[in-house]
Amino acid sequence: MTRAIELRIPTERPFHGVARLVVGGLAARHDLSYEALEDLQLALVTVLEGESYPAKDEVGVQLRVSDDSIEMLIGPLNGDRVRADLDSSGEELGLGRLLATLVEDAKVEAREDGDWLRLVKRVRGIKPAGANV
Amino acid sequence: MSEGKNDKELLRAYHERGDTDARERLIEQYLPLVRSLARRYSYRGEQLEDLVQVGCIGLIKAIDRFDIDRGVELTTYATPNIIGEIKRHFRDKGWAIRVPRGLQELNVRLSHLLEELTVQLERSPTIPELAKAAGVDEEDVLEALESGQAYATLSLSAPSGGDDDSDLDPLESLGTIEHEYEVSEDRAVLAPGLAALDERERRILHLRFFEGLTQSQIAQQVGISQMHVSRLIRRSLEKMRDEIVTEEEPRRASESRR
Repeated sequence: MTRAIELRIPTERPFHGVARLVVGGLAARHDLSYEALEDLQLALVTVLEGESYPAKDEVGVQLRVSDDSIEMLIGPLNGDRVRADLDSSGEELGLGRLLATLVEDAKVEAREDGDWLRLVKRVRGIKPAGANV
Repeated sequence: MSEGKNDKELLRAYHERGDTDARERLIEQYLPLVRSLARRYSYRGEQLEDLVQVGCIGLIKAIDRFDIDRGVELTTYATPNIIGEIKRHFRDKGWAIRVPRGLQELNVRLSHLLEELTVQLERSPTIPELAKAAGVDEEDVLEALESGQAYATLSLSAPSGGDDDSDLDPLESLGTIEHEYEVSEDRAVLAPGLAALDERERRILHLRFFEGLTQSQIAQQVGISQMHVSRLIRRSLEKMRDEIVTEEEPRRASESRR
């Protein structure tokens, strides 16, 4: 069963902490490890704070949990900019290198309201939602 | 003053002939740069316009101290001066998003528990496991971890060699870094962003993102706690982002004036 959490925040930095806490809450509910949580939070902040990534004054974050993965969608973003940085040389410490380390998959998807970045983190032993609530 | 005079001419007019109109022109020309840099710090609870005023002081100091014969662009020299003045303002005002003492202490306790549980469980512990070991709610754990994130952000200006897990007041180290010509020139030969990092920070980023080591593996190798590794990674990446912006802003500012 897939559960989802959605939030929309202003793009300014003080609100990034709100998104981090939501990811933390989700991690706690599903018994994710500290390291998996760190990876997810760092991936999220890397995208939120990327120069010129958010396309509007607000940015949406959607989190979906399945049996073996956490999916994080962030958008709308300036898709061309994000795509270019994702494809940047593997020798550089850019968005592509960071996300390749932190998550298993990173892809820009076109939606009605613009481009969204879809990140997938594979995690073993995800506890079903509510199991420890 | 006629239109179209470049920075060097204006600086020469001011420094050699005492032309205060030329100084005014330079200040006006560089206001967009000040505004752009001030915007980077306005999230810290200060009004943008107040920070622009503070940044202008840095700009004026840069114009007044500028040595035309050094062959450096004013943008290169002014940017670190403006940033330095804004950081000094935060320090002098005693600005603080103070992290409550209880959360700071829990953060330190969690750092130790994280080490212990990682060894004990032979894997990274979960938030509920950390909460149980600390005898607090999961939300308290999350809040304390988030306060560590605030620490990483606040200590951006501090030299990294001096901070450790027992250092509970990062605000003491908010920056007074004076940038001089030599610093700017040294940076020019290094890759964007990486120039802002010290050797240990670069090593940790290399181990994490190029060697693929986990935080706990890096902690063992470098001889610091896992939570400290986490803070250094976040801080280093933030430093790199700020450095890239600092390097790009003068370029954008001079392009927009053309």
